[in-house]
Amino acid sequence: MANLNIRNKQERTYEAIVIGSGISGGWAAKELCDLGVKTLMLERGRNVEHVKDYPTTNMLPYEFEHRGQIPEDIKKDNPVVSRCYAFREDAMHFFVKDQEHPYVQEKPFDWIRGYQVGGKSLLWARQVQRWSDLDFEGPARDGFAVDWPIRYKDLEKWYSHVEKFAGVSGFKDGIDVLPDGEFLPGYDLNIVEKHFADQLKKHYGGDRHLISARCAHIHGNVDFYAQQGRTMCQNRNLCQRGCPFGGYFSSNSSTIPWALKTGNLTLRPDAVVESIIYDEEKGKATGVRVIDRLTKEVEEFYADVIFLNAAALNSNLVLMNSTSNRFPNGLGNDNGLLGKYVAFHNYRAQVSGIHEGHTEYTTSGGRPTSGYFPRFRNVHKQETDFLRGYAAGFSASRGVRPNTEALGMDLKNNLLNPDQYGPWYVGSHMMGETIPKESNYVKLDPTQKDEWGMPLLSINIDYDDNDEKMIKDYQEQMSDMFEKAGFTNIRVNDDHRRPGLDIHEMGGVRMGKDPKTSLLNANHQLHAVPNVYVTDGASMTSTSTQNPSLTYMAFAARAAHHAVAESKK
Amino acid sequence: MNRRHALRHIALISGGLALIPSCDFSSDDILAAYEKLKVTASQKELLGVVSNTIIPSGEIKGALDIAVPDFILVMVNDCYTEEAQGKFVNGLKAFPEFAGSGFAGLSAKEREAKIQDGLTLEGDDSEAGQKQKDIAFFLNNTKRLTIQGYMASEYIQTEVIPYSLIPGPYNGAVLISDIQKPRING
Repeated sequence: MANLNIRNKQERTYEAIVIGSGISGGWAAKELCDLGVKTLMLERGRNVEHVKDYPTTNMLPYEFEHRGQIPEDIKKDNPVVSRCYAFREDAMHFFVKDQEHPYVQEKPFDWIRGYQVGGKSLLWARQVQRWSDLDFEGPARDGFAVDWPIRYKDLEKWYSHVEKFAGVSGFKDGIDVLPDGEFLPGYDLNIVEKHFADQLKKHYGGDRHLISARCAHIHGNVDFYAQQGRTMCQNRNLCQRGCPFGGYFSSNSSTIPWALKTGNLTLRPDAVVESIIYDEEKGKATGVRVIDRLTKEVEEFYADVIFLNAAALNSNLVLMNSTSNRFPNGLGNDNGLLGKYVAFHNYRAQVSGIHEGHTEYTTSGGRPTSGYFPRFRNVHKQETDFLRGYAAGFSASRGVRPNTEALGMDLKNNLLNPDQYGPWYVGSHMMGETIPKESNYVKLDPTQKDEWGMPLLSINIDYDDNDEKMIKDYQEQMSDMFEKAGFTNIRVNDDHRRPGLDIHEMGGVRMGKDPKTSLLNANHQLHAVPNVYVTDGASMTSTSTQNPSLTYMAFAARAAHHAVAESKK
Repeated sequence: MNRRHALRHIALISGGLALIPSCDFSSDDILAAYEKLKVTASQKELLGVVSNTIIPSGEIKGALDIAVPDFILVMVNDCYTEEAQGKFVNGLKAFPEFAGSGFAGLSAKEREAKIQDGLTLEGDDSEAGQKQKDIAFFLNNTKRLTIQGYMASEYIQTEVIPYSLIPGPYNGAVLISDIQKPRING
């Protein structure tokens, strides 16, 4: 590896460096740039420009050679990513293929990644529910992990800040576990989902709710979003291809072009971060060493403040690989806890059934969201034999289908005039909190390296007894609720998916009050290296049950303002 | 254009040339476009007859008019496991024995009846039984892929039932009695 630092150091010096261009990196960069900070954003993958680099976005079904299906050869070569629901013919170019970026599975773990500008913000499920203090207080109340150093009041205005800009549709539901936010008009539940919501009210005394899930889609206030070059969601449900309308929030459609327009952002794709450079004399981080993805040349960039937003497990990897005399075990890792207490969301179980009523109704059109069950277990006190609880998705659907029993002209006429309405199908999936444990960890493989000379990440993460109990409880409770609502043919399932397929891996660089038991302080600064901020999933002390991206956005915006305030002291 | 498309065009051209003088398939070239299946031109023609019996021509085009057999072979070649490919091809090869060599010359109703019978064939573990199962596998998959390839074709989605990438706003309580759709006659 030739070190070709031919450009002078001044040209490679910025005021801030953001590592990663996904949902949290995009927010860090946008806020820094809005505050006038000259910012370099490093992304390990290729550039993906909004609209221009969405090759499949307007393709019609028949234009896909396999009508969306992934060919068997690709599946065989990529067993991990092939298990992801969104890895289909229309979006496979936005996913990391197994062979390209290997990792070590000490225990089975499906690590789903998107290495490009925008990262997984192009591919996410766009569900954005706030945390409440019932989540932040969980570890302290129930005695696991460590206490969060922040509470809802610290984050509340930042939730509002990111919601307004990103565009979040929803209703003010007034539920304590799921605080209301800055919402554009919500998407209505359908008639059977409303029926279910009413039945829950009737049978559970107001403790269990079904709401329309808040989603990061533009559903109103069009003039405001026009400033970002975005417009109304068109209900296409083709989000994973990249949206030409900017109808849903992604770094590519929103924060990155916004930051570029300020003139303060330099975007550098194809820059694999090798390490964060620590200067022992100055006692702080001074820059970032990168390896060019294509030429493998090494280059260094310098800045006063560094934001690490490489996605949860890769942020762990970067810190572990940033060693020095002062930090032989990884940057900021004085207590040896870096990479430990990783957790995720338990999505293993589903419950489905049939609703025999409302046969005179169906639905039309599309919507970008569905029903959401906020957590109802162990909310105010410990009441089950497992810790914490679960949220759940829920939807009811009904379609018209052709009769395909015949052959010939009868079949043809039936296909062209579908007229058979089946029953309403109802389905739910769990989103369970898992408990961060020291035994769930990631580390650097001692010998194996990737194409860029980076150590492979070795992953050791598993379910435990708490998760098994929670699955059982979800299946029982949801079946019970289905029965009370009059649903029939109730089936419970455990798909035994591997951890990771939830794509909600979190932790390893957790926040906390005490430097002995955590890596980051209340402002997302490494305790030992305060000019390094980690504001992505790696910083999570516990996982609660909400889809986490909104919280990362709020973290990043809040920390960026903190960093700028610090620099003015 | 990918290699597959190029190969398919070459196969079509050479197939066409071979047809002009002889009109038979005695040479019966293996079609290079479906390299894992090793099907011949005559087997593809038989598949065409089967799929066109499942969805025939009429006022609106049928399966063969819009190259559905080609789609079927692409899907089996690319998206099926090796085991499923074996069953499909064995079923295709065994079909003439089951349906009779004059299958293509039968009336539409007779061909439909043969296929209906074949769809429900069952067999034991004997060699003959395996053949029965393969024929049923071949026919069920051909039927499913014919329906998929036909309905998700450019022709149907542009000229017959135009497909829109924008489905319109959601209505979660539509009275079925209010829906009016014109009858499309095949």
